[in-house]
Amino acid sequence: MSDGAVLAVRDLRTVFPSESGPVTTVDKVSFSLGAGETLAVVGESGSGKTMTFLSVLRLVPPPGRVIGGEVLFEGADIATLSASAMRSIRGAGIAMVFQDPLTALNPVFTIGDQMLEVIRAHTGMGPRQARVRALEVLERVHIPAPAQRIDDYPHQLSGGMRQRVLIAMAIALRPKVLIADEPTTALDVTVQAQILELLAELRSELGMGMVLITHDLGLVAKYADRVAVMYAGRVVETSPMARGFGQSRHPYTRSLFRSIPRLDLPADQPLTAIAGQPPDLARLPAGCAFEPRCFLGNGREDCRNERPALSPTTSDRHLSACPHWRTLLDAEPGA
Amino acid sequence: MSAEVLPDTTADTVPRARIVRRILGRYLRHPGLSLGLFVLVLLSFVAIAAPWLAPHGPTEADLMNTLAHPSGEYLLGTDQYGRDILSRLIWGARISLEVALAVVALSLTFGSAIGAIAGYAGGWVERIMMVCNDILLAFPGFLLALALVAARGSSLENVILAVSIAYTPRVAAVMRSVVITIRPRPFIEASRAIGMSSSRVLLRHVLPNALPPVIVVTTVSAATAILAEAGLSFLGLGVQPPTATWGNIISDGQGFITSNPLISLSAGLCIAVTVIALNLLGDGLRDTLDPQMRRYTGERML
Repeated sequence: MSDGAVLAVRDLRTVFPSESGPVTTVDKVSFSLGAGETLAVVGESGSGKTMTFLSVLRLVPPPGRVIGGEVLFEGADIATLSASAMRSIRGAGIAMVFQDPLTALNPVFTIGDQMLEVIRAHTGMGPRQARVRALEVLERVHIPAPAQRIDDYPHQLSGGMRQRVLIAMAIALRPKVLIADEPTTALDVTVQAQILELLAELRSELGMGMVLITHDLGLVAKYADRVAVMYAGRVVETSPMARGFGQSRHPYTRSLFRSIPRLDLPADQPLTAIAGQPPDLARLPAGCAFEPRCFLGNGREDCRNERPALSPTTSDRHLSACPHWRTLLDAEPGA
Repeated sequence: MSAEVLPDTTADTVPRARIVRRILGRYLRHPGLSLGLFVLVLLSFVAIAAPWLAPHGPTEADLMNTLAHPSGEYLLGTDQYGRDILSRLIWGARISLEVALAVVALSLTFGSAIGAIAGYAGGWVERIMMVCNDILLAFPGFLLALALVAARGSSLENVILAVSIAYTPRVAAVMRSVVITIRPRPFIEASRAIGMSSSRVLLRHVLPNALPPVIVVTTVSAATAILAEAGLSFLGLGVQPPTATWGNIISDGQGFITSNPLISLSAGLCIAVTVIALNLLGDGLRDTLDPQMRRYTGERML
């Protein structure tokens, strides 16, 4: 699974202590990402998408703690690196673009100051050289007239521009892996498309592995090579994107796909929602975490008693954590 | 009197010099801030130029003219040793401003450092630091300064040290609370994700964003420092006579408050004016440094 992968994660676990016992926000998550590949990570809020990648970067906010698993970056385990070695990986090896470009820049410094800081801290370049590099990357993310924009403060730029600046900062050090955490949720729809096109372009130009954390399945279909679906801190399905969601082999993925509002149905038709609530991570059922909300018919003994593991379905590239995935394929062709 | 200037969003068409002028204008148009600043600049000038401005030496006694009433020679009269009150007030400004400046420098440095580290580190580091800070805060500032001076002896350095120790916890408490509000902001997480070390994040990203409220608190604590020094000197625990300080002058004049009220009153007035000026400056900075507070509270007050 991890052959030639630039980033491979195995059995990653992160827990947060709470009054009702430890909460496992990332539960034995495994995935791998090849160079030049885009992996989409989808799931509803609180399913552990962001926390997984904060764990990879070892930036889990206290009191949370990574308690197990391997993180292989270019084949070497970075879970055991010293704090300062880890710092040089962040940004230069694995970079992250955050959700909200409106607040991810420091309001009291110009964007040039902030970019130079990052470049200089990692490369030891002089201020002049770093500025040249900053202008190059700003150009690369298609910011018009970068020489005029570089001395602007964040508040002088639009949301889309700020996201471009953040992407520029993230790629300034030519990382091998770019993690984009819902890079477009705070932006207008028209700008969203531009940003994603930009990310796709940069990925193929720079040959980065890219992780696209999102809950927008439309984006996934368009930009991802592979998709990992998370539920309650676990990966429940991974599949090559070429198969599409109609072929998905986990009832949660199916439900997620069905709950997308559709423009081709009458407007007065009620929207489809997944019944029930996301589970309380502190009180997960002994069996499958999705079992109480599953449309396959509740109450199957095996679903309740045993937590199903992620295992191969028809191909070993398509994994599902539902032992009844065959039933899904028989039930309805496509969603 | 003055219209609100909206933040400029088309800055690339406006030359920098004009932006600087506009920002300066925003500060100077605030009546409280400009008045406070004017008084303080004037006072600083007087303090610096004391040797040339003062008509007499601060300890120069004219024994033929003790307790003189105002005259051409002695504009504000003389005290019981025949020393010129005006000259002593001018020299006293030096001590007061020196104390204010030194206390601000010390408490701002140490208070910010303590507060920022505690707020940023969190966990048990924060607990321990803040418990110690709260213990110091629980003492009334002036009493603490009084006790410290009593223990260490009275000199200018000890007064500065004592008052600084008494007021550092206040700065630290404010700093910590501001840092706590900044720490969870995404740009802090973002700069950590891009490989910045904790100390760098703290110095470059947390501190500059935390400074405005701390500057305001420090301005006000400069006023309290002046009051504390005057109080200590008045009680004879501060800077020792015959050095001219405003507190000493009030203390000298209190025996003659009925016959020569001008001695104590003029020094008291100096203290009051300085303290009010510092408070106006603090309020003005509060209004102008925080865009959401930019409603010119000072204007209505005046």
